[in-house]
Amino acid sequence: MIRADIQTTVGSFDLKVDLAVDREITVLYGHSGAGKTLTLEAIAGLLTPREGRITLHDRVVFDSSAGVNVPPQRRDLGYLVQSYALFPHLTVAQNIAYGLGHVRRAERRDCVERFARMFGVDDLLHRRPARISGGQAQRVALARALAREPRVLLLDEPFAAVDSSNRRTMRRELRQLAQRLDLSVVMVTHDLTEAYNVGDRLAVIDRGRVLQAGPRDEVFHRPATARAAELLGVQNILPGRVVGADRDRVHVATGLGMIEAQAESRPATDHVQLAVRAEQIILERPDRPSTHRENRFQITIVDEAAFGFSHTLVVQVDDAASGAPTLEIDVPAHPYQVLNVPAHRDWRIHIPPEAVRVIAG
Amino acid sequence: MRRAQSLTWSRLALAVSAAILVAFIGIPVGALIARGFIQGDVLAALRSPVATTALWLSLATSAIAVAVAVVLGTPAAYLLARHAFPGRSIVDTLIDLPVVLPPVVGGLALLVALGRHGVIGGPLDAAGVDVAFTTGAVVLAQLFVAVPFYIRAARAGFESVDRRLEAVSATLGAGGWRTFRRVTVPLALPSLIGGAVMCWARALGEFGATIMFAGNVFGRTQTMPLAILEAIETDVDAALAIAIVLIVLAFAGLLAFKALARLGGRVL
Repeated sequence: MIRADIQTTVGSFDLKVDLAVDREITVLYGHSGAGKTLTLEAIAGLLTPREGRITLHDRVVFDSSAGVNVPPQRRDLGYLVQSYALFPHLTVAQNIAYGLGHVRRAERRDCVERFARMFGVDDLLHRRPARISGGQAQRVALARALAREPRVLLLDEPFAAVDSSNRRTMRRELRQLAQRLDLSVVMVTHDLTEAYNVGDRLAVIDRGRVLQAGPRDEVFHRPATARAAELLGVQNILPGRVVGADRDRVHVATGLGMIEAQAESRPATDHVQLAVRAEQIILERPDRPSTHRENRFQITIVDEAAFGFSHTLVVQVDDAASGAPTLEIDVPAHPYQVLNVPAHRDWRIHIPPEAVRVIAG
Repeated sequence: MRRAQSLTWSRLALAVSAAILVAFIGIPVGALIARGFIQGDVLAALRSPVATTALWLSLATSAIAVAVAVVLGTPAAYLLARHAFPGRSIVDTLIDLPVVLPPVVGGLALLVALGRHGVIGGPLDAAGVDVAFTTGAVVLAQLFVAVPFYIRAARAGFESVDRRLEAVSATLGAGGWRTFRRVTVPLALPSLIGGAVMCWARALGEFGATIMFAGNVFGRTQTMPLAILEAIETDVDAALAIAIVLIVLAFAGLLAFKALARLGGRVL
């Protein structure tokens, strides 16, 4: 269990973060400049926060009120910095051996070989970092960080310098590795796909604050604030006003008309934001009767962008109030073809109530 | 067509001005070497006691000066490169001062401080230690004028080392000293050696501060530049021979410096 509850100011940037990480992979997700790297540096001991407390597996490594500040070399963690920072004057073998100064010479060689084999870089041992690829450098840096067998691994954009074709494999390997070595991993990324694919838990960070943290699916499907929803790639965020609630439904008046949302209870305030992912809106044939009673809208397609495997439609709700926002809808390539979407501009959509997330305030 | 022509003219102007400068430096140096070999016997002159004594004294004192510069200058350069502290720009300027100061002024300052009646020299004299006009004074004079060359190069070298490498070293369990030894120094090494070479070349040619603070005593404080001054009146061949040695050493030093700079650029 890692717990970092810290506050500090770097230049004009204000960082105030409270983060808890268990034996699993926690992804710190946010745009660049959100404070992700600063948070990692504080955990690693490379940045001393103004105040707060950091514990690594019940060991207090920083506590401003008790005057505790364990230097980085004694925090016993692995830190993979962005673009890896391999020592350019040392060979791959020497890089991996760097943190093993306390180990006997013969053991050290075994250890270097074992970790080099584990990461598939055992045929590069005598090369200099300038003569290996980005993906190989990442593996060497991981081997170097893990050869000391830390319990905590910090990763800063670990896949940024890796070819996209290799990323998927490496993500899977990282997950297996974390399990096998019983590591608590904190990974920083600005890539939402990566955050989703690697993380067990997700912490959304923005302008030096953690907006939301929790199990991945919980955070991904139930953003707590409009800003978190926006960062998590929710394309449709509509302001609205709660006008009624019954059983598990909340009725919200929006610029597009009434929208029903599934919710356990009526939100704390009547002014709400509705967040709907583009891929959860269903495009229906206008010539067939709808089977749905609620959240049905006649729409006109006003713009379209294709991404190979899916099409994003920008649509205008026909009966919307003036100035109401357009919606984005993702239609996978197959239904797009079957429905022959380009042939018509006028369609009907259905927004399933369970796809509508009500955000208070 | 016009464009091509103007380009040719501007190139010609560049070539002519460069040629004038090369000639300005090259002709006197070439003339000195030519005269030494044509009119006199350089090798014989080099075997004269004045020349050999001065040569060995110069090599010994400049080597000690460089050693002291490296031992004291390395931490200072690291401090300037890595840490902000109050008065840093003043310290920085003070260290650079001997580069622009006339060496005679440096020698005078050393004399005022370390002479028999100086602020430091007074108490030392009372304790029976003489500094001024000794071989030690030669080393101090050389150190005074030459140490900035080492510190400037070393500082630039330390600044060029990626701080993230030092940070990573710390997370791999290395304390400050180990990181300095295994990461910072190896990566700054071309600059450190280059700075030491420049420092040595400057120490070897030191004249003004030495003659002011150490005097011109044969066998004790008479280094090569000082020996030239004396020999020019009695033994021109010896003066030319020593001058040629100085030219060769300085040239070799500069070549080594540039080779190291290139090497540094390639390794890192």
